[in-house]
Amino acid sequence: MEDDVALLAAAAEGRVEALRTLHTRHAPWLRMRLSRRCPDDDIVDEAIQDTFLAIWNSAGRYAPSRGEPAAWMWTIAVRRLVSLLRGRGNRWIGSGVPLEDVQVPEGSVEDVVMLKLGHGDLATALQRLSPELRAALQATVLDGLTVREAAILLGIPQGTVKTRVMRAKARLREHLA
Amino acid sequence: MTTTVSVHELTKTFGRVKPLDGLSLDFGPGVTGLLGPNGAGKTTLLRCLATTLAPDRGDIRVLGLDIADREQRTEARRRLGYLPQEPGFFTRFTAFELLDYIAILKEMTDRRHRHGEVRRVLAEVDLADRATTRIRKLSGGMRQRLALAQALLGEPELLVLDEPTVGLDPEQRMRFRALISRLGESRTVLLSTHQTEDVAALCERVITMKDGQVVFDGTPAGLTAGAAGLVWQSAERPHAGLFWRTSEGMYRTLGQRPAGAEPADPTIEDGYLLALDTSSTATAA
Amino acid sequence: MSGTWHVDTDLLERYVSSRLDPVTSMSIETHLTRCERCRNTLPREDAWLSRSWAAIEDTIGRPRLTVIERTLRRLGVPEHMARLLAATPMLSRAWLLGVAAVLTFAVAAAHWAPAHPAALLPFLVAAPVSPLVGVAIAYAPRIDAAHEMLAATPMAGSRLLLVRTGAVLVTATPLAAATMPFLPAPPVVTVAWLCPGLALVTACLALSVRVPVRTAAPLLVVAWLIGVFAAGQFTGDRLLPFQPPAQMVYGTTAAVLAVFVYLRRSRLDAGGTR
Repeated sequence: MEDDVALLAAAAEGRVEALRTLHTRHAPWLRMRLSRRCPDDDIVDEAIQDTFLAIWNSAGRYAPSRGEPAAWMWTIAVRRLVSLLRGRGNRWIGSGVPLEDVQVPEGSVEDVVMLKLGHGDLATALQRLSPELRAALQATVLDGLTVREAAILLGIPQGTVKTRVMRAKARLREHLA
Repeated sequence: MTTTVSVHELTKTFGRVKPLDGLSLDFGPGVTGLLGPNGAGKTTLLRCLATTLAPDRGDIRVLGLDIADREQRTEARRRLGYLPQEPGFFTRFTAFELLDYIAILKEMTDRRHRHGEVRRVLAEVDLADRATTRIRKLSGGMRQRLALAQALLGEPELLVLDEPTVGLDPEQRMRFRALISRLGESRTVLLSTHQTEDVAALCERVITMKDGQVVFDGTPAGLTAGAAGLVWQSAERPHAGLFWRTSEGMYRTLGQRPAGAEPADPTIEDGYLLALDTSSTATAA
Repeated sequence: MSGTWHVDTDLLERYVSSRLDPVTSMSIETHLTRCERCRNTLPREDAWLSRSWAAIEDTIGRPRLTVIERTLRRLGVPEHMARLLAATPMLSRAWLLGVAAVLTFAVAAAHWAPAHPAALLPFLVAAPVSPLVGVAIAYAPRIDAAHEMLAATPMAGSRLLLVRTGAVLVTATPLAAATMPFLPAPPVVTVAWLCPGLALVTACLALSVRVPVRTAAPLLVVAWLIGVFAAGQFTGDRLLPFQPPAQMVYGTTAAVLAVFVYLRRSRLDAGGTR
């Protein structure tokens, strides 16, 4: 069972089976994560295909110094999605689930480990943000998109992205102070 | 046996060499092996059957078609696959591109279907992984498998394979045998080889040729049986006859029993060598 | 940080069915980027996976369409024919480079002494013959290494020869035509290569009914070169082979041979091994 780094190297050499294995391993979770950004299944499917084609063509440019393979693949996937959305002028409709209907797991906020943010209070602070502010923060901080790309993903002007991110960060600082 | 391929009085001369002189044979479904030393006429025969060489004289009927007639010949080409001895390649192509090119020449005009077919044969010979690799980067064994793959395009009814296992390692040779066995169940396969183990494992019928003539035509078991009572093993080096040193350091002799030798179980190779060595005095001890 | 904490099935199930709050979702997603074990616990939809892969494989497997192919297809040539035509010059990049080199040399030679009556000679001699050289190379044993394999296919012989001849003509003719403006003479004069070129190609096709292409093509090349040279030597007029009377001869010959080739179009390249 080869690890992802080896598979990427093999794919860079033109070994199709290596790409296939990567696809079997990673397409499911990438698809899941993309669906949270875009409710249109067809666009997500197409983004997945574009992603693996892009991986096929640029596997040679991956190096372990660029982070984990999975994380690298996600950056490709989310950009493919953005690219498709730009083409279609779609609007992001959000996760589709209003905050009130979702059950926060009992006592789990402290258990949940935030990788980039390690503070339990921060999780609460995030929850307190309005969906739009949180979405802007997620797109730029978590997904690593540029302001321009986040604008396309969220279907809002770039200026709005910037102001929302600023306001989100300000709110977080307030709450944590 | 239903006859799918037949040659009658086949003759071919190249300058002073006459590989085929009035050869007549019938072949049917299943796997038939052609054994014989170089110059026995195997390749010439296979080339005539594959329609790439015109004989000087004689009739050839392939799958009911008379290949002397141009249109029937083209039709025959639609239904056969050929793996020549020492196949050449356009090294700048990738494996996929070469098969695609040949598939077009085999009149597969619909691209979807053609690409599907190319992938199918690549998978059959275990080269799916190398579809986009340039041929010049493929090893000899891989190129041989690629050549076999092109013969399989279009699921031909007749497969003509000239020394197909050259360059394959033992594991690949086993996979090849499994593949050919399966194909032989539903079509006619003619293969020529130097490897007697291939014949023993694979062929329902084996024909041994020497100097353009058939010196044996039967089953592999029959070929082996032809050496019954004529194979000897001794620790001492014999003085005459057809013998050689085995890997265990013993001496194996065919034909007349040398002094102090014990009888040994015949193998198909013994049978083959005896069939070729017509000048040996074949007397049972 | 993923060492101790993993996503439990309940959380995962809610994430998958979009019933999980956004904040926890975010942390799950970040975790999945780093944790193979949790990634593997995601439900696998095999049907979706195969469909997705089939579409990907289809695109990476197929050879990219070259510029030539795309142009041909836009001109209405069927896809498989375009592929064959485009693949042929690829078989001999050496030929393409050779032709380009020779034509460049011819232009240089013409400009070397533009006033000289025979300044155009290198061009006029080389241009008609270049398609033929291309065909000869395509059939040369070293280049056509796969000859034996190809010979057993239904399209082998006539059709393949026509495709290859077509391919080299389609490549060489524009090259020669493109060179014309660079020559120090009016087009009326420099186009004198066209008729001999056509005559030579049709002659090669016609000969192929009897003689193998790999013999016929070089034969004609040599015959042309000798003929042009001899005509110049014996009559003192080196441009004689390109004067209007000669052009008429070429034109008529080409036309007659073209008819012959058309009538025999299924019997070409019969002189090969088969």
